[in-house]
Amino acid sequence: MRKMKIDDDKYLRMTLNERVQHFLLLSSFIILVITGFWLKYPEAWWVRWITVLIGENAFNARSLIHRIAAVAMILTSVYHIIYLAASPRGRKLFIDFLPKRSDLTEFGNSMKYLFGNSAEKPRFGRFSYIEKMEYWAVVWGTVIMGATGFILWFKDYFFKYISNTGMEIASAIHFYEAILASLAILVWHFYFVFLNPDVYPVNKAWIRGYLTRQQLEHEHPKWLEEIENKEPVNLEPENNASEALSEIMIIEPKETKTETETETETETETNKDKADNKKNEPETSEIKSEEDNEPERKPVIKNNDEVSDSKNEDNV
Amino acid sequence: MTIIASEYSGSKAKSTDDCLSCHEDKDLVMDSDGSKKSMFVNPELYKKSAHSIAECTDCHLNYKAEELPHSADKKLENCRTCHEDSKGLEKSVHAKTQCIDCHGSHYTKKVSELKNEGDANCMSCHKKKEIAKFSSTIHGKKGVKCNDCHGDGHNVKNISRNQITEMCGKCHSESKMNFKGSIHHTVFKGGGKKTPVCTDCHGVHNTISSKHSIQSEACLNCHLDEKMFPGTETGSAKFVEQYKTSIHASIKKGEMESAGCTDCHGDHMIDSPDDPASSTKRARLIETCGKCHADVVANFKKSKHGVELLKNNEKAPTCSDCHGEHSIKSALLSDGASKLVMADKCLDCHKDGKIPHKNFKGEEELITGYKNSVHYQALVEGNESAPTCSDCHGAHEMELAENPDSKISKKNIANTCGQSDCHGKQLTNFEGSIHEKGVNAGNQDAPTCNNCHGNHGIVSKDLENKLQKSRDLIQLCTNCHESVEMIERNELPTKVSETYKESFHGLATRGGLKEAANCESCHGYHNVRPSSDSLSTIHKNNLPQTCGNCHPGATEILITSKIHLTDLKEDSPWVFWITRFYIILIFGLIGFMLLHNIQDYRKKKKSNAKNEN
Repeated sequence: MRKMKIDDDKYLRMTLNERVQHFLLLSSFIILVITGFWLKYPEAWWVRWITVLIGENAFNARSLIHRIAAVAMILTSVYHIIYLAASPRGRKLFIDFLPKRSDLTEFGNSMKYLFGNSAEKPRFGRFSYIEKMEYWAVVWGTVIMGATGFILWFKDYFFKYISNTGMEIASAIHFYEAILASLAILVWHFYFVFLNPDVYPVNKAWIRGYLTRQQLEHEHPKWLEEIENKEPVNLEPENNASEALSEIMIIEPKETKTETETETETETETNKDKADNKKNEPETSEIKSEEDNEPERKPVIKNNDEVSDSKNEDNV
Repeated sequence: MTIIASEYSGSKAKSTDDCLSCHEDKDLVMDSDGSKKSMFVNPELYKKSAHSIAECTDCHLNYKAEELPHSADKKLENCRTCHEDSKGLEKSVHAKTQCIDCHGSHYTKKVSELKNEGDANCMSCHKKKEIAKFSSTIHGKKGVKCNDCHGDGHNVKNISRNQITEMCGKCHSESKMNFKGSIHHTVFKGGGKKTPVCTDCHGVHNTISSKHSIQSEACLNCHLDEKMFPGTETGSAKFVEQYKTSIHASIKKGEMESAGCTDCHGDHMIDSPDDPASSTKRARLIETCGKCHADVVANFKKSKHGVELLKNNEKAPTCSDCHGEHSIKSALLSDGASKLVMADKCLDCHKDGKIPHKNFKGEEELITGYKNSVHYQALVEGNESAPTCSDCHGAHEMELAENPDSKISKKNIANTCGQSDCHGKQLTNFEGSIHEKGVNAGNQDAPTCNNCHGNHGIVSKDLENKLQKSRDLIQLCTNCHESVEMIERNELPTKVSETYKESFHGLATRGGLKEAANCESCHGYHNVRPSSDSLSTIHKNNLPQTCGNCHPGATEILITSKIHLTDLKEDSPWVFWITRFYIILIFGLIGFMLLHNIQDYRKKKKSNAKNEN
């Protein structure tokens, strides 16, 4: 597994593989949203623009595009599951995404901070309740939308088993889930990626793959602390580099490959350097220690964090 | 046997008997310039004749009995030496005719005998064909004699044109009276030399009986003469000539035209065309045509056109306005353009709201819209069974739609459109449909053919454009099924339009999928029936087939529930509660997210500002 710290100001947030997955997800999602609401609101002003752009037969293409995007999203999801299961980084990712009891307390603290009297800003690890909500919402949404979507798609087959009411139910769920998902992305995800004052105008992690130290200090101080204070796990970096490279080769066009190659090389190099300087610990132990140590470390780190915050600001 | 001159011994006889002694020989002949001339005198006939009292020598002057021939200078005594009273003979047409030509020579007839002999005597001289036929004419057969017209005895005369009317009028007094009021007589009195008198039409001696006496030929002899009737206006030769192409002239009854000049214009009493009382004037035309076309005119009188005409409405049409005058054609003798011509005729008056249409609804509904209609286009393209105005409105029995008997009244329209060779199949489908039941029950809201298809401007909306067709159809149905007024008044099912528009089918049609089901895909079109009707396409037994048209997998399961979910909570509680759940979820969750993020934004802005300070 690759190291999280690329250099002093770059912390690996998403590998190229993950970014490609994210890109496939977001592009298929956006296409699905557009082509989906296009059906429900065929007279909307933006639909007219699409018709102007594509032509009079745009609507016939709509259903095809929607289905292609749906298949793309499902394939991406399937790949994601394989990724979570098959690669060490994937497994770690999955574990980090799993909801934990600490998320509840963090959420409680956050509520107190945002709406209550508490002046204490909750400190988040790699994934806060915000990101976990987002992630599991996508999982939930994909399953629901996929299931109802398939019923609607293969209606003639399902008519043998499902009454008209069944179709109406599938259709209602598909529609309201779509609204929910779209609004969630708009209000929840887009806020944190774009409007969020800490990252405004955009958190480029989904493009560049890394977060700055300052961003980590603001958003994931506990994770930053983990990376900084504890030696990150480095499992056979060389193998991983080649593994990542091979994944990239499948997905990425040739031009970007050279870039990514160099990137991964530099990553691995820096990782090596860091690895040399720091102790290598097995993955599992890291998680354990994280969980164990959490409550003890918290107040100390917080002070440090605030200090480092102000320092960084001054430096900038 | 010939008398041989040498045998003649001569005689000094002076008495008639002496003469007859020789001349009673039947075989007595005389050579005269090579031909033999009978010298026979029948003594019996002679003695019976009026002249039996006269001696031969009273008439045969300068005769010498002993010579043969009797006189080289023979001379006949002028009859008038004795018959001094035969006055006026010199003045008569027979002035140069010899007495014996009529009265005979040796067997002179008495006046009474001559009278008995009658026309034969005249005919013996007047051998012209025309006169010879006289005996076979109506006059001849009915015992009219030459002298009845030409006068008796010595006063025989020619009859001048001026006298003819009076002469014929002696017997034909009624005709004379009629003729004297006619345009012909009026012009004649004014000095018109060519205007006709009786004989010009009826012939002189060869008068023909009954209708044959007044063949149109007689009229056309003059009326086709362009010198007499110049120009192209009404009354001109060219105008009259059109008659020859007319149905009246083409169809014959025996030798006669089915309708000749006199049948319409009258015979003796023929009026000036400008005379309002003329039989061919507007006011009297239906009466004139009605002489033959009684049924048609009876219908016409009941029609709106007829009623208005009888009210003296100047705009109302009479027979000739549609059928033409001399050029009148039969609708049956269609030359392909007649239906088009008829449309033009009707539109002459009815176009552009000139005669306002009660249901005038703008451009589309204008009667002129007919010219854009599929019906008119089909006519133009040569389909002669395509309808023109009269096919729907009726011809003579044309009525306003308000009249229940009208062909276009609400109840009758379907039958009119479904006329055997037109839309019969559609009519059969329409019969028994819920719409037809409404129409028959007198419901003015219920749609019949024209409510969906339009009236005059039945346009084939680009049928190739299936999507547009589908959308137009939905629009058509929703015109009524979306109208609150209509729904309340007729207790129609509610919300059918909006539930359709939100359904899979409706969304797809709105979006632009031409294959998507519209109203007719499920409900049918002409045979729309309620689901309770076992013949309905949406009756539960028929639904698998109806749905199966598009969804081959459709089974009974599919249609266990209502299709138009008009009351969601009742019709489909599942959908209702799922919807409710999601709405709450969306408002709750997204609301929370908004609040969370607004607060997050404020806090971060605040702390950043603090840090900057």
